[in-house]
Amino acid sequence: MKFDGKIVLVTGSSRGIGAAIAKAFAGEGATIIVNYVQNANAAEEVVSACKTAGGDAMAIQADVTSGEQIKALVDQTLMDFAKIDVVVNNAFKPYTFDPDNRKQFWDLEWQDYQDQLDGALFSTYTMCQAVLPALKKRTQGSIINMASDLVARPTIPYHDYTTAKSALIGFSRNLAMELGPLGIRVNCVAPGLVYPTDASRKTKERVKEMIIAQTPMRRIASPEDITGPVMFLASDWSRFMTGQTLYVDGGLVMK
Amino acid sequence: MVLKAGYLPGIDDDAVEWQTLTYDRDGHAIEVSVPLLSNEQMQDLSERIKEASRQHLKSMTVSDITATIDAAIARLLDRNDTYRQQAEEYLPLITGYDAEMIRLGLTGYLKTFRQSELRRFIAEDFGNPKILDEFQPLPKGGYGKAYGPDLLAHIWAGNVPGIPLWSLISGLLVKAGNIGKVPSAEPLMASWFARIIAETDPMLGQCLAVVWWKGGDVDREQALLNQADLVVAYGNNDTLHQIRDRTPITTRCLTYSHKVSFGMVSKAALDTGKAWDVAHQVAYDIVRYDQQGCYSPHVFFVEQGGAVTPQEFAQYIANELDCFEEKFPRRTLTIEEASGVAAWRQSEEMKSFSEENASVMGDAGGAWSVAYSEAEEDLAPSGLNRTAKVIAVKQLDDVPARIAPYRAFLQTVGIAAAPEELHRLAEMLGAVGVTRISALEHMTAPEAGWHHDGRFNLLDLVTMTEVERSAETAAEAFSDYVD
Repeated sequence: MKFDGKIVLVTGSSRGIGAAIAKAFAGEGATIIVNYVQNANAAEEVVSACKTAGGDAMAIQADVTSGEQIKALVDQTLMDFAKIDVVVNNAFKPYTFDPDNRKQFWDLEWQDYQDQLDGALFSTYTMCQAVLPALKKRTQGSIINMASDLVARPTIPYHDYTTAKSALIGFSRNLAMELGPLGIRVNCVAPGLVYPTDASRKTKERVKEMIIAQTPMRRIASPEDITGPVMFLASDWSRFMTGQTLYVDGGLVMK
Repeated sequence: MVLKAGYLPGIDDDAVEWQTLTYDRDGHAIEVSVPLLSNEQMQDLSERIKEASRQHLKSMTVSDITATIDAAIARLLDRNDTYRQQAEEYLPLITGYDAEMIRLGLTGYLKTFRQSELRRFIAEDFGNPKILDEFQPLPKGGYGKAYGPDLLAHIWAGNVPGIPLWSLISGLLVKAGNIGKVPSAEPLMASWFARIIAETDPMLGQCLAVVWWKGGDVDREQALLNQADLVVAYGNNDTLHQIRDRTPITTRCLTYSHKVSFGMVSKAALDTGKAWDVAHQVAYDIVRYDQQGCYSPHVFFVEQGGAVTPQEFAQYIANELDCFEEKFPRRTLTIEEASGVAAWRQSEEMKSFSEENASVMGDAGGAWSVAYSEAEEDLAPSGLNRTAKVIAVKQLDDVPARIAPYRAFLQTVGIAAAPEELHRLAEMLGAVGVTRISALEHMTAPEAGWHHDGRFNLLDLVTMTEVERSAETAAEAFSDYVD
């Protein structure tokens, strides 16, 4: 299997896309750190699904907007497994994608942006700082940051969320530049609308049909659609790729 | 987890025998207990419902009744209501249909029973809805009033969630007392609806009941048939034949048998811009409730001569079905269903060996199949459960003559064509027995007030009492103001 013996840390993996990513890695033999913040039961279900799938897993609670908790998460992982091979920064500040009730620009306050920047950028920044010593020591590792295709095409202008994800892509490119010489790769995966997840459950059929009509592959992504490109970027198959963003949205965005 | 189906006003739960139905799809076992009445209990229930119908329902106005139904339906549309939440949680487990498909399907279906739609429904059949409330002047002279039966018996079939609500609501609208027999395949929705009606208007709740017996239990069926003033039954021809034979001669029996519906796509819809969109609509009609409805399409006649050929169009449909499998996965099939699909595929594959250009798309073990043919094939049912046949034709005008021999089985035709074609085809299709023509993507969602199998859903349920002109004139002679 492709990820036998690899330690993969996935933030926010008790549900949605994160859970699908965790299970997919486990299916290829990896050991997964299932990070969650609230739902311990859901995290344990993912852990047992990972084991059934042929991998190993452990759930660790940590709020990724807290520097201390991230450090504790990384410390515990290193204590148990001595290394980390792959980090998937998937967690984000809870955000409801509800096109009919979204805030318009003039309704937004700076704090809304700040919250999303904390959720996407601060958490990724902190996580990268925390794992870097371990990755540097082995001069290898793959960091994958979850962005959004809204960055390239804001079909619905979720200003605060999308701005933070845009910042995350810029952050990743700079980090790729910095870490390339150390043998550590940094890439992004930018999914389109993924349904169903808790965050997207309020997205109405009308909006989904509108997106489908403009998508060459003629459907909306499921959480499982996102796992392949993430694993590709985590594997040696992409060993000469860094600073890239893969759009996983059925061709809605082409660049 | 044991859920309770059935609704028996005035009968103590403890006095009834309950049986347990077990549903085990994909490892999520769920149990539903269903009431099995003795013949005496059925007779007692029937008399009770008839009495309540005479005493209470007959004195309600149609407006009162529609308001109560509207309030009940509003609860089933409200995603925070406990009944709605139960429906969303348990119907997928009972029927195996995808949860999203059921959620969206319920909303689309239930909103056709809001008050404004119910009024339209009544106006379709009764020019003057007040004729259900009081004697009204008739165009030919005299007065008339429409009466629903004291006891309308419904024998439902199938597993499409909520379908029993059609006839149950029809019964209430004409002020009939109702006893409905739910199928084992989906016993819950009618039961919940009856309970909500009772919670909304306890008196109206005395006028309907939901019962169960195992299909083929002739004794219990007979007990209800003997009491009914009118019977509405759904199912295959054999079942319906037996029910009709056992219904007392003085009781009317309305039957709705299995039908075959199909689609027609004009070359006008097959340009490079619109063809995909039409294929998407076609696939939706195939996917919705896995072709279990009488209005579900089995075959599509596709016209040659457009920018997109019928064969390419069939390939578009295949890809759309593949995409829908991600969105609304097909339910796990029973062994019988799976062998039905396999037999159909096999026969289509056999044809493709001898026929040029004929093909079968989709994996043998997959969740959908599309067969394609350019031969002069007739209308035949597909293997169900997301199997469909695309037949290329030189012109759509040739189709009505080809389907004419199947008059007894025809129901809905979904059409994508230009306006003048639509109306020309409608003339020809109506003449050979088609009773409903809809847009593609709407085949499985009839509009409020549609005429099921071309019949008058409400009018068929009532009898008219007429006061003829002669009686009025004669009465004049006996008035105290006569000169």
